[in-house]
Amino acid sequence: MNLLPLVFYAVAGVAYAVHFARRQAGVGRAATTLLLIGILAHTFVIGMQTMEVRHVPFANPSRAISTFVWLLTLSYLYLELTTDERAMGVFILPIVIGLQIIPVLNPGVENTDPVLDSPLFWVHVASLLFAYASFALAGVLGLTYMLQFKEIKAKHLGYLYTRLPSLQTLDVMNWRAVAVGWLFLTVGVVVGVVWAAQARVIAPQDPNIQAMALDDPKILFAFLTWAVYSFAMVARRTMGWSGRRAAWLSAVGFAIVLLNFLPLNYFVTTSHTFQ
Amino acid sequence: MHLFLLGVSHRTAPVELREKLDFSSRGVGDAVEALSTRPSATECVVVSTCNRSEVYVASEDPARARAELVAFLSEYHQLAPEAFLPHLFVKEDAAAVGHLFRVAAGLDSLVVGEPQVLGQVKEAFQTAHERRCAGPLLGKVFNWSFAVGKRVRTETAIGEGAVSISFAAVALARKIFDRLSGRHVLVVGAGEISTLTAQHLRSQGVGDIVITSRTHAQAEALAAAVNGRAVPWEQMPAALASADIVITATGSQRPIITRQHLESASGGKRRSSPLFIIDIAVPRDVASDVTEIEQVFLYNVDDLQSVVEENLSRRSAEISRAEQIVADELMRFSSWQRSRGAVPTVVALRQKFDAIRRAELQRLDHKLGVLPPEAKARVDEVTRLIVEKLLLEPTEQLKALPDEETQVAYTEAINRLFRLRPDEDRADAQGAVPPERDETT
Repeated sequence: MNLLPLVFYAVAGVAYAVHFARRQAGVGRAATTLLLIGILAHTFVIGMQTMEVRHVPFANPSRAISTFVWLLTLSYLYLELTTDERAMGVFILPIVIGLQIIPVLNPGVENTDPVLDSPLFWVHVASLLFAYASFALAGVLGLTYMLQFKEIKAKHLGYLYTRLPSLQTLDVMNWRAVAVGWLFLTVGVVVGVVWAAQARVIAPQDPNIQAMALDDPKILFAFLTWAVYSFAMVARRTMGWSGRRAAWLSAVGFAIVLLNFLPLNYFVTTSHTFQ
Repeated sequence: MHLFLLGVSHRTAPVELREKLDFSSRGVGDAVEALSTRPSATECVVVSTCNRSEVYVASEDPARARAELVAFLSEYHQLAPEAFLPHLFVKEDAAAVGHLFRVAAGLDSLVVGEPQVLGQVKEAFQTAHERRCAGPLLGKVFNWSFAVGKRVRTETAIGEGAVSISFAAVALARKIFDRLSGRHVLVVGAGEISTLTAQHLRSQGVGDIVITSRTHAQAEALAAAVNGRAVPWEQMPAALASADIVITATGSQRPIITRQHLESASGGKRRSSPLFIIDIAVPRDVASDVTEIEQVFLYNVDDLQSVVEENLSRRSAEISRAEQIVADELMRFSSWQRSRGAVPTVVALRQKFDAIRRAELQRLDHKLGVLPPEAKARVDEVTRLIVEKLLLEPTEQLKALPDEETQVAYTEAINRLFRLRPDEDRADAQGAVPPERDETT
């Protein structure tokens, strides 16, 4: 079922690339339209899965990734429509397409562990997925900032320079994405801690719940992520770490998020693996 | 009706002659009015910019129009024809239309793709239009040329990239700061390029422009020109601390801004907002070590010059695509014009049919008199519709004929078959079809 949105995302990705290279307004509009269709198809898929399991489908890694991709494309579309800046699509869509392949190849089965049946759990996961989507945007914006910064600093005003947005735009968008992400990350982590405390009472024997501690890699990485972005926020305010440093931090932060999200999720962690 | 063009441009005439043939100094409006009194100039538009003086005329008799236009130029500018005849270019019909399209597209400009010329052509037409000198043919041609200019600009990159140092500097500032509103500008030393750059920045809505110079009078003069504020030379460090964009153009032999200056200006704190320095002076005013500060972007005059050259070469790469659009539009225009060639015959045919219809209704009037008024009106309506439907297909076919020769043959045949004399009704025919105006606006 996840294949249909993937196809649209892939075609939209090609359109964004063509638009980036040739800068034809018509191609740009087509790219946005294709992305929108992809998002609608994806919304339908997630809606169907929600009806099937009676809650938003993210209690297994593949479905969580699918939901994450959906949130990311939505956030990107919001960014594009509010700034009228399409150049970022060519960087965002490869991430979207790459991640969406995972749920297509490995649909996964929604788990029905009763311990997860709590509103707190859903707030926890939804907040974190949205935070990660924001960080993905911020990371890409940061990388783009560094590219554009290098071009202007080195007086190399060529292909990329003409196509990428201004430094100021990238910096402001990056700041907003980090701020929104940090807010949701904080909410997600706090709610997660509260939920884990409740779950310990309800299901003290569950090995997952027992593994919920700071020495668990996934939880450790979540706190590390929170620390990095908190530092990014404080440094920007008090130490003038905007521009290139902020861009670096958001790229590093997103690398940690990806690491936490993909390999750790599948292979390392002992908590967060409900069946 | 024929289109006739006569003029000089930077391609055909030296600047001295172009100055002598310039219309704008005495007002294009007067020139176009004076021209319209000439009998062969049924419609006329005068385009006069610093690089060209061109006269467009719609005339029944191009040969006579040529002689009259040469005489007009000679009299209006009080110049012997021999002085400008060798530099004059003359174009007729499609060639004249094609020329106007190329001019509007910026393809005939000294700096290819420059945007001002389209505005100048629009203004020239507007002037002629207000004085009732431009009629339906020139109206169509000029409005078409505006659309061509717009199409070339949106579909090709011919107008992209700054092609002067001052514009390149402003374009760079926009890639750093995005919107320039509220940005603080510091100009150190006055010169031509720094004045131009400051003016461009002003038109982009920058916050305040502070000017300082070793000779305070110079700073004050520039401040007046760009609506800025002149400050004494000693206050430069303070102005530097709050500036986002700095333009330097002093005659100093040694750098006047160094890394230490900037670092002490920001009070030893890290710069969180970018500083864009444009060093136009030779020898340079700004030491190159300032770029070691992360948020400082330094461009000197050579850097900007190479940006300009790159942009120029990128523009010329777009020329062939732009020419293709012009050729394409010229073809469309020609086919439109051919369809117009059939108009007199079409109008005459309609008039003839309608006359027959009215005559028959008249003849039957006494028989129809017994009908109630609504029924009479219905009869009138039905007969009118029948005539319209009968004529619909032949009219469309006639307008869509592929070339002029076929069209002449067909219109001849129709004229003869129906005993039409469209030429006599030509004046009415022109009036019957309302001139299409402002389709681009």
